[in-house]
Formats: sequence, structure tokens, C-alpha cells
Amino acid sequence: MQLRDYILRRLMVLPFLIIGVSIVVFTLTRVGGSPIGIYLSHEMTPDEVLEIEQRFGLDKPVWVQYLQWAKGVLSGDFGWSGISAAPVADVFPLKLAATMELAAASGLVALFLGIFLGTFAGARRNRAPDHITRIVAVSGASLPQFWFGILLLIVFWANLGIAPIGRSDATVFASINHPTGLYTLDAILAGSLRAFWDAIWHLMLPAITLGYGATAIIARMMRSALVEELQQDYIDAARAKGLAEKLVLKKHARRNALVPTITVIGLTFGFLLQGTITVEIIYRWPGLGRWMAASVVRGDQGTLMTYVLFTSVLFLIVNLIVDVVYANLDRRVTLGK
Amino acid sequence: MMLDTSNQKKFVAKVDDLKVYFNSKRGTVHAVDGISFDVYKGETLGLVGETGCGKSVTGRSFLQLLPIPPGVLVGGSIIYNQQNNSSQRFETGSKPGFPNSRNFEFKKVDLLTLTGEEIRKIRGDSIAMIFQDPGKSLNPTLTIGAQLSEVFLQHRTEEILEMAGLGSEASGAIRRFASQRNRIFDKWLVNLSGNRSTKSRVEKAVADLVAKALSDTQVPNPVKLMDRYPHELSGGMKQRVMIAQALACNPDILIADEPTTALDVTVEARILDLIQELQQRRQTSVVYISHDLSLVRRICDRVAVMYAGRIVEIGTNNEIFKNPRHPYTIGLMKALPSADTARGELLAIPGNVPELINPPQMCRFFSRCAFATDKCKNQDPELEKVTNSHSVACFADVAEISGK
Amino acid sequence: MWFMQTWIEELLLENKMNERAFDNSHYNGDTAFRVRIRRFGALVGRLCANPTTVIGLIIIGLMMAMAIFAPWITEANVPDPYQMPRDWGAVRKPPGTPGFLLGTTNEGGDVFYGVVWGSRTSLQLSLYVVGSTMIIGTIIGSLAGLLGGWVDEFLMRLVDVFLSIPELIFALAIAAVLGPSFTNIIIALSMVIWVKYARIMRAQVLQVKQNEYVEAAKVIGDTKLNIYLKDILPNAVTPVTVQATLDMGNVVLIGATLSFIGLSEAGIAEWGVLVSEGQAGIASGRWWASTFPGMMIFLWALAFNLVGDGLRDALDPRTEGR
Repeated sequence: MQLRDYILRRLMVLPFLIIGVSIVVFTLTRVGGSPIGIYLSHEMTPDEVLEIEQRFGLDKPVWVQYLQWAKGVLSGDFGWSGISAAPVADVFPLKLAATMELAAASGLVALFLGIFLGTFAGARRNRAPDHITRIVAVSGASLPQFWFGILLLIVFWANLGIAPIGRSDATVFASINHPTGLYTLDAILAGSLRAFWDAIWHLMLPAITLGYGATAIIARMMRSALVEELQQDYIDAARAKGLAEKLVLKKHARRNALVPTITVIGLTFGFLLQGTITVEIIYRWPGLGRWMAASVVRGDQGTLMTYVLFTSVLFLIVNLIVDVVYANLDRRVTLGK
Repeated sequence: MMLDTSNQKKFVAKVDDLKVYFNSKRGTVHAVDGISFDVYKGETLGLVGETGCGKSVTGRSFLQLLPIPPGVLVGGSIIYNQQNNSSQRFETGSKPGFPNSRNFEFKKVDLLTLTGEEIRKIRGDSIAMIFQDPGKSLNPTLTIGAQLSEVFLQHRTEEILEMAGLGSEASGAIRRFASQRNRIFDKWLVNLSGNRSTKSRVEKAVADLVAKALSDTQVPNPVKLMDRYPHELSGGMKQRVMIAQALACNPDILIADEPTTALDVTVEARILDLIQELQQRRQTSVVYISHDLSLVRRICDRVAVMYAGRIVEIGTNNEIFKNPRHPYTIGLMKALPSADTARGELLAIPGNVPELINPPQMCRFFSRCAFATDKCKNQDPELEKVTNSHSVACFADVAEISGK
Repeated sequence: MWFMQTWIEELLLENKMNERAFDNSHYNGDTAFRVRIRRFGALVGRLCANPTTVIGLIIIGLMMAMAIFAPWITEANVPDPYQMPRDWGAVRKPPGTPGFLLGTTNEGGDVFYGVVWGSRTSLQLSLYVVGSTMIIGTIIGSLAGLLGGWVDEFLMRLVDVFLSIPELIFALAIAAVLGPSFTNIIIALSMVIWVKYARIMRAQVLQVKQNEYVEAAKVIGDTKLNIYLKDILPNAVTPVTVQATLDMGNVVLIGATLSFIGLSEAGIAEWGVLVSEGQAGIASGRWWASTFPGMMIFLWALAFNLVGDGLRDALDPRTEGR
């Protein structure tokens, strides 16, 4: 009952936060530069500019403009993407699938690898595996992903020539349908082993680049949580029951250490979302991040607003889920303030 | 190890010259420095002393539950003389130096030299332990039932399988399930349609055992309790669960490390009664570790007084409390309020416990002792027999000097 | 979002517990001062006992020296030393070429110059951002905590909204609408980072407000401002310092990322810009122009992370060896 109240309260706050974010995003676009900047050229007369402004409702008060934009967003109209020369809503899903494939691949690997490394290190505290994991963890948090990606490219693409760039080999994927937009999944659905292998092959380096930092975050949290749990009295009590050390570690310590580790999953998700921007630029991955970076440089506000709003809402929802799962797992948490 | 069985009571455990040190930045802490005592069948032995005198370390040594490192087992032995017979005990059998399960009479092992696998067979089965804070000794994220069933799964696999009507023909996966040795795909194997019913029968058998163990500790509604989480229970209730867990396999020895310190006084009395009752019914020997002298006086048959890593005096309840011989014990008695102490007669022992880092060869009570002589400064007294059951580690004949 | 800073809040709590023992003599001004000095000495001792922290401190020292002595290490470009010098006669030179220690880029930019002067750019960026956000965040957080009521409610909901947008994406959006320039990156980062300090500070104020000695001060009749300056502010220094140390590295990392994406002026002596410029050469095997400046970003962020972690551990003895 208490848990349900907590979920309800969080759910009630969510729309307000989304409105808040949308106001912030909208305000941003009105503060700097003209929102129609991308459509203007030097040959236009002031009258023509005025006409465009009127067409987009820029002569109206700001709050009316906001409401118009919000109305559009709610009905699925996210505006016009200048750099793609198409409505944002049309381009977005394609790019999103590419980004999600990359983020999910890195995220899943990071989750398992991070938990494994953290457990491995925490159970061997202050021995060699522990020190190595700590180096991985600290360096992962400080490593500029765009540089790490370039280093990998220098070695595996430029020098060894074994790693590809981009998302797929066009000749391999020419004959394959894209019902999901996720190339690995599409290849499986089409039953083409060659296409699947190609998709994985292209995914490898970007996923490593993106996943390294995420692994570091999770491994670090897992390690310190495990060390903390292993010092608890119930661990000795479990040993006193005659349980094997492996069982004590897995069933008692690791299980409980996973609970606080869940809290960093939201953080990791934000980290992955952010990371896709530079990783996609470097590997020429046709996803949201690269699209966003291109529109930012060109001043394409429709794309920018949609991207920020979308990632924020996603981030909010993931965090909500994480918090609820956490509260559900850790019965000791006081759900009040 | 020669054993004098002639006219002595049967011992369950014999601690001989146990030495446990801890390495720290500032030096080696002699936490337990050469202590010896016996634990007899069915008795309650009190281990009393101030905080840090080594009584908990002694208790944990029985089950190899010491943090090593920084702890170092320097020497000594704890010979355990197994009493009850159980189908599962020592099934690894005929290993050299390790007793065979068929031979009940001379099953004596040194608990300190057992391998990990061997000591785990003893932990929770032949020797069990209750810890100080029941709130912290239960895993907060597992239900009471799940935590109790672990003991049975670990030590009573055959019995469980029998109760489930499976016996020796149980499949490998089910057998592993009933002994907590799941392999990687067992989770699915056990849930296969053919196995599901046997699995639920095993679960039912375990649940029955757990419910039985819980009802022995007089908790109301044991079946319902199994689904609760530790934080939903009161402190006294949690300690009952811990006791049920510890006594689940009818241990020969129960190590109780200040089991009531974290509880209210009223709850304490009930928990003590419970331990005593179960102990008498099952002929369990209890090593009761406590700093509370009046409590020890109430429940213990024999008492060992520890000071700074040593036993300074050991004897029966009467001998220790009516006729204490060591100055420290006498000091403790004077600090103990009782019906016949007059007001204002309560005395604290002057001074503090000496540091146990690299202690010199002298009596450790020297600096606080009113009867100290030069001899005490240069020599460390050993335990000497006063009567057959009463030993004291002191050079002075205190009873005579104090004219008691 | 809500949990993001929980470790900081936990730290506050633990720290308070540790300090309470010391602080019994708090109202005797002289001893309180001495206690602080002694505690600081012990802190330095614990910091230096940790080898990774010492490594971090050494790297930071070298970086600072490089930033300060940049004009003496390599001759400043005229008129603007923060602009990369271009030598179109010496493009694509490998490292070790006389005059170009670390080689040149496709556009004839001297990588060594960029690496050295980039440390100045980064130092400026981190000092401006961390300095301004610390002040703004501290003021806003203190106001929220002290005034409470609707002020608190409003400010904290604002903080919640700000924390709903991933850090880098938010900074990217702000920098994008302000237009590509290094100054705008500084502004954008400041607008994003301040919320952290506001949260820490508010939690700190609420925490300290409940402490007994503040109650005692109230009973004595101290003014609110006095209580704030004497009790609350000095106690908040600890968590804010840890956060600021971590941010010194973090901010350069995000700033360089924004520059790499193309949000600062092309051709300035900044590590992220240089990595981006060097990217064009890697296909033809010219690895140096991206590698060296990128390594500087890494070392910078690493050093501050190491010291920040060390500082946190040293301030909280319980986390030792974690």
C-alpha cells in the first residue's frame, strides 16, 4: 500500500516535470537566435522575412507560441527538420532505431560485465583483480569517449584494417527488409546469417567505445556495494549455517549488493544517451546523436527541441522505473521524504 | 591426544592452548593468548569478561569464523568429540585423520585444522552459533522461511528427499536442488513439467521442517512467519528465529555470543528460558558468551572468567560465585549488585584493561591488582587446580590474604 | 535524478556524525579554530597516504605549471595566443619534426602548441565554471534551505526540472542556441552545473539546522545570519569541496566534448577542437594530431577524479579502501 502511494506520487509529478522541461527547452530557442534562422537567406527582403515569421506565428505573444508548439507536439507534429528536409516526426523513428540498437548493445554488455567485474573485484578486495577493476572504473569515468573511439579507429580501422565504419555494408543489407529498424534483429528475421554477422561486426567498436564508461560506472558501484555487504553480520551468520562460500557470495552478498547498484542504472542510461552523440559522429553511425550534432551546428531548432525533449522524457521514465524497482526490492527504504 | 576418560564427565569439546592474534598497523594484538577449557555434554559454560577480552574470538574459533587475515591462528587446538549421530555427518568418511561416520565412539576432530569443506559440514549442523544482534544477523532481503530452509537444504538433504517420498531415486537436478548445489541450467531443469511436482514436494518438505523448527521456539503462527521479512519482526521475534535456525539440526554445541544484549530486559528473560528449555530437552552443550555476570550466574553450570586474552579462573557456578580465588573475579563480584550488598558498597575495579599489543611476559592483571608481588611482574601465572573442577591463574593465595 | 547525489548526502550525514564528537567545544571560538586546523592537518596526512591521490596531485601540478608557464614553454601566437598558429608550409608533419615536437595537423597547426596552450584554455574553463556555479549554487541552495516554504518549493522544483535533462545534452542545447563560441560553452556549462551545488547546499543547511548546537545558538539568541556564517557555511565546505574537485575534471571533459562537436570557434587552442581537427588525418595514418590532445583531456579528468575520490575517502574514514 505504501509502495503504491509512492508510485502514484511519482507518476503524478512526472507530467509536471515534463511540462517544466518543455518550458525550459522552448525558452532556450527563444533566447538565442531566430527560430526560423535556418530558412532565411541573404537575398530575402524584410517583407519576405516578416511573412515567414507570420506564417510560423512569431508575431504572437510568446506564451501563445509555446501553446501552439505544445499542441503540435501532443498531436505528433514536431516541426520541420531543416537538415533532413523532412518533418521531424518522419525522420525521428529511423534515427531512433539506430541509436537504440547501439545504446542497448552497449548497455546490456555493460550491465553484465559491470556486475561481473564488480563482484569479482569486491570478493577479492585489495588483491590484483580488485586493483585492476578500480583502474578500469576510474579511467572509465575520465575517458573522453570521442578520443577513445578515435584511438580504436586508429588501431583497428586505419592500421589493422579489420574494423568497419558506419552501420552496415550496403551490399549486404540491400536485400533485407527493415521491419524493426534494428539491423541485428532485422537480419535474424530475414534469416540471413551474413547480414547478422555484418551488423554485429559494425556494432562492435561503437559499442565498446560507448560501453566502457558505463561498465566502469556499474562495476564501481557494484564493487563498493559488495564490499559493504560482505562486512555485514548476516554474512557471518550465513557462513555459520554451513553455506558454501560461493553460495554466501551469490545468494546473500551479491543479491543484496545488486539493490544499491540498481540506482546507478538510471545514471548509466543518461550516460549512454549522451555518449551516443560523439560515438555516432566518429563511427558515422546514422543515429539521433549524429543527426542532433549536425543540426546543432546548423542551428536547426526543430530537431534540437525534439531531441532534448525526447531524451529528457526517456531519462525521466527510466529513472522512475529504476526508483520504483529499487523501492520494491529494498523493503527497508523509507518511502517518505 | 590422550584422553583421560576414567572418572571424568564426557567432554564435547576440548580447547587446548588456543592462540589467536591479529595483525594491526601498531603491532600484533594477542586477542586470545593460550586458553584451555573443556565443554561437557549438556552443560552451559559461561564465558565472561569485559569487551575485548577475547571471548567472542574464542567462540568464533569453534567454527573458523575468524577474519583471516588480519587474524592469525597461532596455535592450539579445539578437539570436538561428536555425540549425536546423523546420517549426513562426515560422509566424506575414511579420509586419513578424519573420522569415519560409521564409527561413533572415537569421532574426534580438531576443528581448527579442518578444511573449508569439512568445517562447513559442522557449521550449523553439529555446532551452531547465535549472534549478538538478531537484527543484523538476518538477511534483510530474504524471507524468514528462505533463510531457515537454507540450514535444512545444507545439512538434511537425505531427510528432505525422504520426506518428499523420493529417497535415493531422486534425479540429479532435484538432488542438487535439495542441497543448494544448483548448476547453471538446473533452474530450468527443475521447472520442467516432469520435475515440477517433485520440486514442489521437496519445497513442501522443507517448509514442514522450517515450520517445525519455528514452532519449537514458541513463535505464534510459524507458517505465516515464514513469508515475512526480518524488518517486519520485533527484536525478540528475530532472536527466536535465530535460535530456531541454530537449533534446527540438533547441534551438540551451541555458541551463544551475547544473544540477549540487543534485547529488552523482559524479552531477555524469555529468550533465556527458551534456550535453557530447548537445551535441556536436546542435551545440547551451550557456550554462553556474556559480559553480564548476574546473567551468567543465573543460567550457567560452569563459568570461565576471561581477562585480556587469558582465562584467569574457571570453575563451577558455585565455586566461582561463592568462592572466587582470582583478584579479578573478586573485583567483578564486588562490582556486582546483589541482595546482600549494602548501599555504596559497589566497587569498580581501578584502572583499565591493558593493551594487548605485544604484551610482556607478566601477569596481565598486574597493574590493577591489589595483591601484586614482584613475582607477578616477572612471570605469567598459569591455571592451577584448586579443586578438581576449579582452577585459578594467580600466584597469591588470595582467599588467605584477604582473609575471606 | 533524485538519487544522483545521494552519496553526497550520505557523506554529509556521516561527516556530521564524525564531527559531532569534536564539536562539543564549538562555542569556544579559539578551540574551534584549532580543531579545524588540526583536522585539516590530519586530512592532508590521510590524502598523502593514498598513492593514487598523490599521482593525481602530481598530474594536476604538472598541468597547472604548463598552464601558467605556457608563454615560456612555447612562444605565444600574435596577436591572439589562444588561436592556433598556422604554418601552411609545414602541414602533416609527424612528431619529432624539428620545430614541431608533436607534429602538425592537416591545416599546419602545431600540435605541441595546442597541447600546451590548451591547458590554459581548460584551466580557464574549469575555474570560471566551477567558481561561478559554486557561488550561485551555494546562494540558491542556502536560500532554499534557510527560507523554506514556497521559496524552497519553487527552487527545488526548478532544480528537479534541470536535473531531468541529461547534463551533456542540456549544455549542448544551450551552447547551440547561444551560437558556437568558447565563451558560450562556459555559460552553457555554468547554467547546467549550478544545480548540483544548490542541492548539496540545501541538504547541508537542512541537516545542520537540526543539529543541537544550532539549537543551542538559537537559545543563546544568535541572529540567523550569524548562525549561518558561523555554523552552517563552514560545515558545508567539505561536501562542496569534494564536488568541486570532481567537477574541475568533469567540466573540462564536457567542454572538450562540446568543442569536439563543433560548438566553439574553429582554430582555437583547445584540446577538443584539436582532436576534431586531427580526426581528418587518421584515415591516412596520421594518428598524432588527435592522440596527444585527447590524452591531455584524459589525464586532466583522471587527475581530478583521483584527487576527488581521495578527498572523499579522506573525509570519511569509513570508506577507506573501498
